[in-house]
Formats: sequence, C-alpha cells, structure tokens
Amino acid sequence: MGQTMAEKVVSRQVGRPVYAGELIERLPIGKLFFNDVIGPPSILILQRLFADTFKQHGQPVQVFDPRRVFMLPDHSVPAYSVQVAEGVDLMELFGRECGVKVYREGDGIEHVVLIEDGHIVPWDIVLGTDSHTCTNGAMGALAFGVGTTDGAYAMATGHLYDFVVPETFQFELTGSFPKGVYGKDLILHIIGVLGAGGCSRRVAEFMGEGVRRLAMDARTTICNMAVEMSARTGIMSTDEVLLEYLKDRAQWPVEPLASDPDAKFADRLHVDLSQLEPMVAFPHKPANATGVSRLAEMMAKSQAQPGPDFPPIHSDRITDAFVGACTNGRYDDLVEAAKVLRGHKVHPDVSLVVIPASRKVYERAMDEGILQVIVKAGANVESSNCGPCFGSHMGVLSKNAQMISSSNRNYQGRMGSRDARIFLASPATVAASAIEGKIADPRKYL
Amino acid sequence: MIQGRITTVLGDDINTDDIIPAFRLQQSNDPEYFATYAFEKFDSEFRSRCSEREGNVVLAGKNFGCGSSREQAVYALLYNRVACVIAASFPDIFYRNSLANGLTLVAVPDRSGLGMGDELEVDLAAGSIRNRTRGTAIPFSMKAEDRRTFQAGGMTARVRAHLEEILTKR
Ligand code: SF4
Repeated sequence: MGQTMAEKVVSRQVGRPVYAGELIERLPIGKLFFNDVIGPPSILILQRLFADTFKQHGQPVQVFDPRRVFMLPDHSVPAYSVQVAEGVDLMELFGRECGVKVYREGDGIEHVVLIEDGHIVPWDIVLGTDSHTCTNGAMGALAFGVGTTDGAYAMATGHLYDFVVPETFQFELTGSFPKGVYGKDLILHIIGVLGAGGCSRRVAEFMGEGVRRLAMDARTTICNMAVEMSARTGIMSTDEVLLEYLKDRAQWPVEPLASDPDAKFADRLHVDLSQLEPMVAFPHKPANATGVSRLAEMMAKSQAQPGPDFPPIHSDRITDAFVGACTNGRYDDLVEAAKVLRGHKVHPDVSLVVIPASRKVYERAMDEGILQVIVKAGANVESSNCGPCFGSHMGVLSKNAQMISSSNRNYQGRMGSRDARIFLASPATVAASAIEGKIADPRKYL
Repeated sequence: MIQGRITTVLGDDINTDDIIPAFRLQQSNDPEYFATYAFEKFDSEFRSRCSEREGNVVLAGKNFGCGSSREQAVYALLYNRVACVIAASFPDIFYRNSLANGLTLVAVPDRSGLGMGDELEVDLAAGSIRNRTRGTAIPFSMKAEDRRTFQAGGMTARVRAHLEEILTKR
C-alpha cells in the first residue's frame, strides 16, 4: 500500500514499513533545537534526571549527537532581564561543554535560521521546543514541537517516545495568487474554514501545482501556521524550487520525498488560489478570519454574536502594527512591505515595528535598500528576534491598543494587556494599515 | 484512582497563553513558580478556588491546551493541585507534556453529566469517571500505554533505562 510522507519518513527511521495509527515506542530523531524560553529549563531537567546515569558510566552529561543539536536564543533577546541573560548564559556554557552550536543573540528566529543555514532537509525528523517547529515542514522534514521534558529526553537519547504515526490531511492547491494575496492569506483562509481544532492529530500536507509555483518564503509561512488549526505539523514534497534552494546550502544529504499517489489520506480540501483575497483574522484567534472586503460584516457579527474568543469590535482604527516573526519576517515579506510603504509615511497614530527574522535577512534587506524604505516611512526597525509576537518586549501593548500583526497568534493577552485587540494579516496588509491608521486593503498600493 | 472535585469549568480552545502568559516563562526555572500565575490574565479566581483542597479537576471543551508548546502550562496546573483535566479533546503537544509530568488528562466527548462542584472518582484502570454527586458513571477510553505512563507519574524511568542501554553499548 502507498505511503504518505510522514509514513515514509518514520518507516525509514525505524527500518520497517509503518502506517498511520501505529505506535512507535522509540522514534530516533534527526535534529533537535532549543530557544531561550525552553532551552535553559530543559538543560536543567537533563542534568537533574540523568546526571547520575552518565556518572555511573564515567561520563559527563552530554547530548546524543552534538552535530544534531542547536541552541538559538531568539525570543527575548538582546536579553531584557537578568533572568533571561542568565538563561542565555546557561545555553552558552552548556553548548560549549557539549560541543553544540549556540547561535548569538540577534542571529534570528529558530524556525528561520536553521533552514537558512541548510540544517533542515527532506526526510529529516526535527524536534524543536516550540510549537511553530512545523515551519520546517516546508523543507520536506517531519517536524514537531515538543515541551521541556520531551526536549530533555531527546537531548539525552536522541529519541521521541510513544510516538503515534499520524494521519495526513491533504490540501490541494491550484491556480496562482492574484495581486496582493500571499501565503499568509491562504493559510488564514484555510484555518478560517477548518477552525482552531480542524486538523488536530493530523499532518497537513500542502501539495499541487499551486504550491510548486510558490517561493520558499511563502511555503514556510504556510507550514508555520499549520499548528493554528492544531495540525501535528505541516509538510511539503520536494520539487525544483526546494532543490534549487538547498543547492550550495544543505549541510546534510538531500534526497527527494513525496507521498505516494495511492497513499491513504484522512481528508482532503481543494483551494483555488486565484479565488482568494487579502485576509484579516479578528481577535482572539486565527480562525476568526475574513476577507478584507468584508470587514464591516465581520465587525457587525462581532457585535451581534460576541464570544470569549471573539470580542465585539467597534472600530477598524489601529494603534500598532508589526511586520516580523517566524511567520512573516523573511526577505520576501520585507520586500512586499517595502513595496507598500515606498513613498508613504506611517500614520501619526500608529507605531510600526519591523523586525527582520534573521541576521541574514537583516543584512540583505539593508544592502538592497529595503530597510531604508521602511525606516524612512517611519518604522522602528529592531534587531532579529521574536519581538512583540512573544509579548515580552519591543512593542508590548496597552489596554487601549488595537494591533495588526504579521505574526501567527492573536490570542487574548498574547502581546501585552488582555484588553488589547490583535488582528493578523500579511506584511502587505499590515503595511497598508500602518499608512492609513486603519485596517486597509494593500492592493491599491501595489 | 483519582479523587477530586470539579473546581473550574471552561469552554473550547483554551490555549497555553491563557494558562500561563509568555512574559512569566523566563522569570524562573522552578516549576512551582508558575503556580502563582496560572490563568493570570484569563481567570483570576482560579488559584483561590484550587487552594481549598487537593484533587482539583478542570472541566473544559474541545482542544484544551492548544497553541504554544510551553510546558510551564502543565506546571501551572500541577502545582495548583490539579489532579486531572477532563475535556472533549486535547492537542498533541499539551497531551505529551502532561504525559511527561504525570498530569492526568481524560478525553470525554459528552460532558453533559458533569458540572461545577461535582465530586468525582476517576478510575484509569476501569476507564470510568464515577460522579458521586449525581450517582452516575461516565466511561472513557485511553490507550494502554498512556494509562501506564499516567499511573507511573511520567516517562522518566523508561527513558533512563534506554539511556543506560545506549551508554552501555557506547
Ligand atoms: S516569532 Fe512568535 S511564534 Fe515565532 S517563535 Fe517567536 S514567539 Fe513563537
């Protein structure tokens, strides 16, 4: 019987054919990475739980394979508090002791940097201590977010325990995006259709000619938000665009991967990209998505039928705007934001924060004059990190704030006050809204 | 057997940002620290309701614990003496984090026979919730390996044995 990508990758790892639903007691993994939020406690758990075992074998605490483990301080850097700084110190110290690569503060966000540096390849099994590890599925890797303890276990033994091979939900994309519509709009549309739990326990595979036409930056945006419909992860097959991207970049052997045509899929959805328009997700969840042409209707609905995740919205005015995050802080995203901002000024009532998602993106955008356009328009450009998406620094929101953001989560209280309202959209829509001081359609600027 | 009382009732899609806000996460590496800030922005009465006794049960709707992978959300519940969460469904990362720490999760599609204040006995071995307040019983299913892990209070012993194997071979 044919296999999905997920089934193939797991089969190879365990050395026998497996199918969805099977329990794998010990799944060997390929790559493992930690950020500054979960890395420090995970290191401490590793030391606390396993130091004795290592000692009995006359060995220091170490990781299963230093070449496959990465530490990336990216959430709250440059450190905004003593506790954060000491956490980063711990990662550096531990990394040196174990021979693990530790990135510098400002090198960028985990889900951007490891891909850029060629560490993620098709057929990989990737664990990251962050729910948006699913981003790495755009490379054809099977990538899962895990918590502190699973991360510590994996550091010690290189395995994930009691893993159940997931089913796959296939999203077939055809056509191509009209002007002003991007990967972000597509994934918001899909999440809006399926809901916050619509893909739970399944892998979201995005396939079809619609995907093959997309550049890598758009693909990572799409896989990034698979978890917002509770998918186990997102994944895409290997094609010319990916192979070209990996050429001269991949640090590991590259082998193409695709699902078999006769594989068994749990569900299917077809989306025609040419039918989409710019999307906006209303507070407080990504699934509250609507087309930009239907803002008034959505506002009326929020007033008539509000709920805990859907507060009444009385105005389309915005006070804050953010372009960045692991969702939409890549090079192509900054290019699109700059296209909109060129020759315009940010509205006097709006604070626009722009954060290139990695040092490499930052440098390229600087060299090519893209940052110049963005800075001249009146944006605050910060060094590479998660920024306001994590709600701890660089643009924390007050109770009066109404924010539009290119990030992936608009939960209540996510970026500061629980009374702030956060809308999600593409970088172009965020930029257009920053100019007008209200949620705006980007198409007239393109 | 878990004995407890339902002291919190919540709706669908409660996310881990609701359970513990981001800006607390890096303030401490001590799991107990997070108990103080459980549901800080979402349900400010949560802690005082849990403080009365051991064996608190949280009842929730679909997709409890979605979103961020932060394991601190599990600590925030455990150290408020939450013995069990009963919900319509749980997403994978939160489920795994709870397994690792021995916080028992029970998925029950129909929760109409459960409500605030009900006294419960959750019998993992029998796959049954006995509602002592209403004199009813609600069956649930749980994978055998998950039941063993919850009963053992986590997975660490198994992982330690595996590490032993690996180090012996090295
Ligand atoms: S940018 Fe936001 S979503 Fe992405 S890793 Fe950072 S905090 Fe998480």
